[in-house]
Amino acid sequence: MNVKLTVNGEAYERDVVEDRTLLRFIREDLGLTGTKDGCGAGECGACTVYMNGKTVNSCMVLAVEADGAVIETIEGEAADGMLSKLQEAFDRNHAVQCGFCTPGMLMSAKELIHNHPKPTVEQIKEGLEGNLCRCTGYQQIIEAVLDATGQLTGKEGLEHAGK
Amino acid sequence: MLHRFSYVAPGSRKELLDLLTTDYVQAKILAGGTDLLVNIRSGVATPDMVIDIKKITEYSGITWSDGEGLVLRPAVTINDVLCDASVRDHFPLLQECGHDLASYQIRNRATVIGNVVNASPCSDMAPGLLCLGAQVMIASSRGTRTVPLEEFFIGVKETALAPDELVERIIVPAQGKGAVGKYRKLKRVNGHDLGIVGVAVAIVDGHVRIAVSSAAPTPVVTEGLPPDIHVDEAVKITMDMIHPISDIRCTKEYREFMVGMFVRRLLAEVRA
Repeated sequence: MNVKLTVNGEAYERDVVEDRTLLRFIREDLGLTGTKDGCGAGECGACTVYMNGKTVNSCMVLAVEADGAVIETIEGEAADGMLSKLQEAFDRNHAVQCGFCTPGMLMSAKELIHNHPKPTVEQIKEGLEGNLCRCTGYQQIIEAVLDATGQLTGKEGLEHAGK
Repeated sequence: MLHRFSYVAPGSRKELLDLLTTDYVQAKILAGGTDLLVNIRSGVATPDMVIDIKKITEYSGITWSDGEGLVLRPAVTINDVLCDASVRDHFPLLQECGHDLASYQIRNRATVIGNVVNASPCSDMAPGLLCLGAQVMIASSRGTRTVPLEEFFIGVKETALAPDELVERIIVPAQGKGAVGKYRKLKRVNGHDLGIVGVAVAIVDGHVRIAVSSAAPTPVVTEGLPPDIHVDEAVKITMDMIHPISDIRCTKEYREFMVGMFVRRLLAEVRA
């Protein structure tokens, strides 16, 4: 089937087989490998992308369903060689270790901040509950979101004191 | 994916119902896809054709009226329910249930009707809908029929749907408007997980109703119980209704214990 869609502001048109997921389409057909393939079952959130203004697990969307959609992936986050405010906050707060969960984490954090410009820690935990991290630890990620929304006080009871 | 299928996205209801009537294909309806695509990948579902219903405009949206009550259509997602003012005002119990369903991204795609049609014993929406006396409107090219939700579930992942039928609406009757209800789901982790047990308790139209998920082949619900029922009696009636099993998530005994515990706690909360 022929699919036309916009990814990170760029228009694409491709023929895809019906059973191709949006995830594989983005990674293999468009070559945008920032979005990760984790569990394939909606558990880990590594494949999270923005589709028509909402986060989705791209492993659970068919590419053909995205016909006409506007998609944003991690590759669209930085502009003109400059990291976004959110990416900088992740960097500053050591919210990245292996980096595998990070693209999905950023997408979820983005929708969270869109819905709650000053999220509480509870709202952050809920907004990111669909994204598993197995190495960085969630504390730094929560702090990165607090930082990105101007709420980091430096008294979060960090494991890494003196930051 | 390992399994090949054709994809079609009908633009009208008639086209869809005609497609479902074609008896030489094994068709599956695609709405949110959060169960279907996982099942196709794991080989549990092997449809020849996947029919996406999201292009049918009359299948979107939540409406409320004093006459008809709350109407949920096939493309309504869990997050739609969580953001909807009429659900918040009239049936906040449904928002409690939706809130506990999976993760944020999944709630952006997963639909209420999909959660019901999937007929998993651990459905999160079913306990709230059952307490509120929800009705299921089923359509096919032969016409429409409406059944109470408790009769719609007939076994583990089995429903009263014939192959040419689909659920077009879930209707929550207006009589239950303003019902005070609570839903509690026991999970292995404090993030997103399938339920070990889920219990909803509500006072609906002057009666206590208790619904339980993950403790029988289908989600189950009590009759309307007297509003002043003693808590021990309410627990006993609930216990007689459930048939939990031991599985990978926990033992039968633990399920029974926690259902009793939740009924006690929630009944006190809804009466407070």
